[in-house]
Amino acid sequence: MNHSELSLQRRTFLGQSALGLGSVALASLLGKSAPAFASSSSSPVDPRLASPGLLNPLHHLPRAKRVIFLCMAGGPSHLELFDEKPALAKLDGAPMPTSYTEGQPIAQLQGKELLCWGPRAKFASHGQSGQRISSLLPAMSQHADELCILRSMKTEQINHDPAHTFMNTGTAISGRPSMGAWVTYGLGSEADNLPGFVVMTSRSGRPPQPVSSRQWHSGFLPSRFQGVPFHSTGEPVHYAANPPGVDFERQQDVVDTLGKLNRLHNAEANDPEIATRIAQYELAFRMQSSVPTLTDISDEPQHVLDAYGVSGADGTFAYNCLLARRLAERGVRFVQLYHRGWDHHDNLESYIKTSCDSVDKATGALLGDLKQRGLLEDTLVVWGGEFGRTPMAQKKDGAAKLGRDHHIKGFSMVLAGGGVKGGVTHGATDELGYNAVESVVHVHDLHATMLHLLGVDHKRLTYRYQGRDFRLTDVHGEVVKPILA
Amino acid sequence: MPFFSSNNSAIRLGVLLVGLQAASGVRADNGPAAPQFNRDIRPILSDSCFSCHGPGTQEAGLRLDSFEGATDWAVIPGDPDASELMARVTSADPDTRMPPPESNRPAVDADAAAKLHSWIAGGAAYQPHWSYLPLQQVPPPTATDTAWPRGPIDQFILAGLEERQIRPSPEADRETLARRVYLDVIGLPPSTAELDAFLTDNRPDAYERLVDQLLASPRYAERMATWWFDLVRFSDTVGYHGDQDQRIAPYRDYVLKSYNENLPFDQFTIEQLAGDLLPDPNLWQRVATGYNRILQTSHEGGIQDAEYRAKMLADRVRNVSEVWLAASLGCAECHDHKFDPFTQRDFYRMAAFFADVDSYNSFEPVSSNTTPTSRPPEILAWTLPVYEQLQAIDAEINEVLGQLTGEIPGPRATAELRAKLKKLRHRRVEIEDHFEPTMVTAAVEPKDVRVLSRGDWMDETGEVVTPGGPTSLKAPLSAGDERLTRLDLARWLVAGESNPVTPRVVVNRLWKIYFGAGLTKSLIDMGSQGDPPVYPELLDWLARDFVASGWDLKHVVRQMVTSSVYRQGSAPRDELRDLDPQNRWLARQSRSRLEAEQLRDTALQAAGLLHHQLGGGFAKPYQPPGYYAQLSFPERRYQASQGTEQYRRGVYTHWQRQYLHPWLMAFDAPTRDECTAQRPVSNTPSAALVLLNDPCFVEASRSLAARALSELADDASDGARLRWAWREATGRRAHEDEIDALTNLLARHRDHYAAEPEAAEQLVAVGQTPRPDGVDAAELAAWTSVGRTLLNLSETITRD
Repeated sequence: MNHSELSLQRRTFLGQSALGLGSVALASLLGKSAPAFASSSSSPVDPRLASPGLLNPLHHLPRAKRVIFLCMAGGPSHLELFDEKPALAKLDGAPMPTSYTEGQPIAQLQGKELLCWGPRAKFASHGQSGQRISSLLPAMSQHADELCILRSMKTEQINHDPAHTFMNTGTAISGRPSMGAWVTYGLGSEADNLPGFVVMTSRSGRPPQPVSSRQWHSGFLPSRFQGVPFHSTGEPVHYAANPPGVDFERQQDVVDTLGKLNRLHNAEANDPEIATRIAQYELAFRMQSSVPTLTDISDEPQHVLDAYGVSGADGTFAYNCLLARRLAERGVRFVQLYHRGWDHHDNLESYIKTSCDSVDKATGALLGDLKQRGLLEDTLVVWGGEFGRTPMAQKKDGAAKLGRDHHIKGFSMVLAGGGVKGGVTHGATDELGYNAVESVVHVHDLHATMLHLLGVDHKRLTYRYQGRDFRLTDVHGEVVKPILA
Repeated sequence: MPFFSSNNSAIRLGVLLVGLQAASGVRADNGPAAPQFNRDIRPILSDSCFSCHGPGTQEAGLRLDSFEGATDWAVIPGDPDASELMARVTSADPDTRMPPPESNRPAVDADAAAKLHSWIAGGAAYQPHWSYLPLQQVPPPTATDTAWPRGPIDQFILAGLEERQIRPSPEADRETLARRVYLDVIGLPPSTAELDAFLTDNRPDAYERLVDQLLASPRYAERMATWWFDLVRFSDTVGYHGDQDQRIAPYRDYVLKSYNENLPFDQFTIEQLAGDLLPDPNLWQRVATGYNRILQTSHEGGIQDAEYRAKMLADRVRNVSEVWLAASLGCAECHDHKFDPFTQRDFYRMAAFFADVDSYNSFEPVSSNTTPTSRPPEILAWTLPVYEQLQAIDAEINEVLGQLTGEIPGPRATAELRAKLKKLRHRRVEIEDHFEPTMVTAAVEPKDVRVLSRGDWMDETGEVVTPGGPTSLKAPLSAGDERLTRLDLARWLVAGESNPVTPRVVVNRLWKIYFGAGLTKSLIDMGSQGDPPVYPELLDWLARDFVASGWDLKHVVRQMVTSSVYRQGSAPRDELRDLDPQNRWLARQSRSRLEAEQLRDTALQAAGLLHHQLGGGFAKPYQPPGYYAQLSFPERRYQASQGTEQYRRGVYTHWQRQYLHPWLMAFDAPTRDECTAQRPVSNTPSAALVLLNDPCFVEASRSLAARALSELADDASDGARLRWAWREATGRRAHEDEIDALTNLLARHRDHYAAEPEAAEQLVAVGQTPRPDGVDAAELAAWTSVGRTLLNLSETITRD
């Protein structure tokens, strides 16, 4: 990274570039380094390729400006949701053919008898496209013509923590940047006074698996590209509230006095870091003011609240979906919602219903709301887990009812908006839903496609660390062209 | 100086790069302008060519990382114009020009092409990569100015500056210098009393005395431990999945004790990697082997043995090669290294050293859903406070024993002494009850380690390998039929002369602490993609001096911080802005924001809250409620430490890998999943929010305010109190305009809080420290606003 890039990045606010600030005061504070920045964007480019981030111009015309990634943590069963398998139903209770399972990675079913287990849900055709979707997802089914169902996903990690890490960073090795960090690093953010990468979490159903903050870490990228967790109960953002007994004016007075003293000092020290710090304090203060406006949903009409099923800041996935839309409206580049509770090793029939009930309505409402506001066309929505679940039944010790184990060789994810074809199903697993066999989409391919939609060539968004140019897709990744609108 | 110290029989792994030519004779001797391979040519080839024509891949059969490969057909020594290499990198035809655009490698520009041309014309001589060359023995040069240099470091730097006709910067003022050296050496600024003691010390060697005093302080050990913990990725939790606590506190104290007692670095290395293999290891040496256990592990249900065995071995290879060799050997897990001479086989041979660590499946759930968890093998061991109590009681016991066996005391005295002895021994047992379980290494029969094709742990067809160092480093396997062990590895790493990499790596990282950047900036990659060093002769001189001193870290630190280079002012100079924008030549000192731990320690010290206790387990600072909500197995409830434990230094903070404390995150502390040799230094609004609003810093502000109100005479003016508080925070005296700004702030907040007594009560109630008696809440609240301003000042959080 050269010097001017570095100074540019120092001026970014959690991934937001100086341009996005629109602050004349900041530019003048930064004095000498400003022209270096200006020169990088002085060549005439197609304005549609302009970006407030490091990649300016973008590599090609973007179809999506932002991503809302709905992470169904725990691994939803593709066999009950998006991948209808009548053949599996016929083999219900029969031994799983060893031709499928021999020499394959396996998690909790290690050493157990492997028996087929027929799907526990009914499927129906939806929309003009006639996409086959489970009856467990009635609200999402209503948007069938917007959905692109990827039925041939593959990943490489069979346990939750490494699989999440793989889904987010493209490797199971810790310390690499997450996709949200990569995207805000490359594209910056268009949000005023909000981070470019926001993460929210919710849970329901089976006691959930943990989720690590590694999943939204910036790794070796500068730390301002880290995802910032927003909370739907309690304080929305850590330390964004004033200390007890300190009101808006007192806080402003402290920040102003601090700025004045730092300026006095910098008149002697002449240190760009101090100038940056002054600006960052002012931004921090503005962020303190903007968060309450963001989270105050009293301006939402009742029918919108009803559509999501939101009654207030109650920690639900529904509230988080509503916030996701509000964040998207404000230009936040990457929003990631985790819903925990999809790890259905036992009692799947009951638990998957709970999980679907918690997310289906809100996901449908989010799609409808984005569409109604014209945001869906440049917002890529992704729905899916870190892996899928086995066609084989799992009988947990002590559990009365069956479930399914982790499965990585074939599972489903769903995309919508942001330049993706709606009403299509891409790829297929074999007749038992074990192996992705047709038009396989590896996690790296998903990443490549996501970046492509954002106007980025995944091979050219790199960062040099330890002497090597790293990228989200490592040395892999093919854009899934057939699904591009 | 013989490169090969084969007479050292302990070093069975032997010598780096025996097969490569030594440095002499490889320098081009046709004038000063001739390109040097390592300095001028290797960076070009490595950046633009090696990824396709290097150690890992040889497209078109071409390999440009060796003389033999290059001169096979692409390079004709002495004839650049007939060399295909030149034709290709300068070609105007995009179809033939190298590197091709789709490689995403940087093009060879005119300047680089000219260097290549001149290099080939001069014979295309190769050099082994600089960091693998033997340590040069260059006497410190004599500069024209003989008054400025205080020692060899200064001679090297000044000669370099004079060559470029740059003058060094004037010495920093004594206040700045004192604060700098305190922060650098012990990680804390001086208290005002300490600062005054130095400012009034008129002895000519006052500064050197100060340095010795700081090096002798236990606080030095705490500062260095943070540095080491980042490297070896020490943490209190397992890292994967449930991120449960692991039992490892005594290892933390081993590191603290080692720095406190200045344990030689070679010994420190050997004990951590292989303390269990030493003859008759003592308890601290066994505790030290916790090093091999502090990688990320998992208790997730359904993990596959072979997969985690592969993950853990790879993790260890990455860490050992990064910590000691600054080598990215980890890149060779799936394929031969693209830039450096490491094969995939080298990776697995290195892994095989650790094949005896996991006794049975250390990654198998033992007590999966509890925290702390249990990960055998563990032993009961002391923490430092317990160890010290034992030392004290043993001294007493020995004294009584001496009295009993010396001059025969009378029967009554004997009975008394025996009773005392019994009591002491009883107490000793009681103290031993405070021993804690700690993870250690206990060697078992090594398991087979195979080369895994593409790193795939399910592939069982690869060759079974035995332990060994990278073959390109010519680490020979001369143990006869015996299998090499971790002890052999450790001894080779610190073999000194015969392994020049480790001492270079260590002194370079120390240099970074005291001068802002390493002599090579690549603290974690001294391979061909790393940055060649400025002042390479100085780097080698320091490395030699380190080894010759008996791996004495304090000696190296003293050399560095007593130099004239170190004592320079940091102010940017106009004439250097274009000449040396990154301050690589060191014509001035550098400035940097304090590290996360230093920042909090500094605030707590100004507040008078900092509690010093060397070792003894972790502490938990205040943390936002619900911060661990996404952790499960088990669900976690965070209990902030009570009493003085709350105010221990940052090095003791409970290191939760998955949810590092938000203050540590905001100020760039690493999660310690992997080796970190250099923390980034960000400057973000998140950091501002922490310093402004984290209750720890609010409480510190209030306590600083309370001190300003109580520590001066009752009739002291506001101005006097403000000046006092300013100096406590920044270490310098305030200017009048600064005092004016604070006076105005104070007046406004006094009015406000007098009118809003409830708000005042809320503000002064932040934190566990009780509010001092007899202080008006509104007055204290107004001063707390002053304290918050002071603790947020750029100067307060900057090392200058």
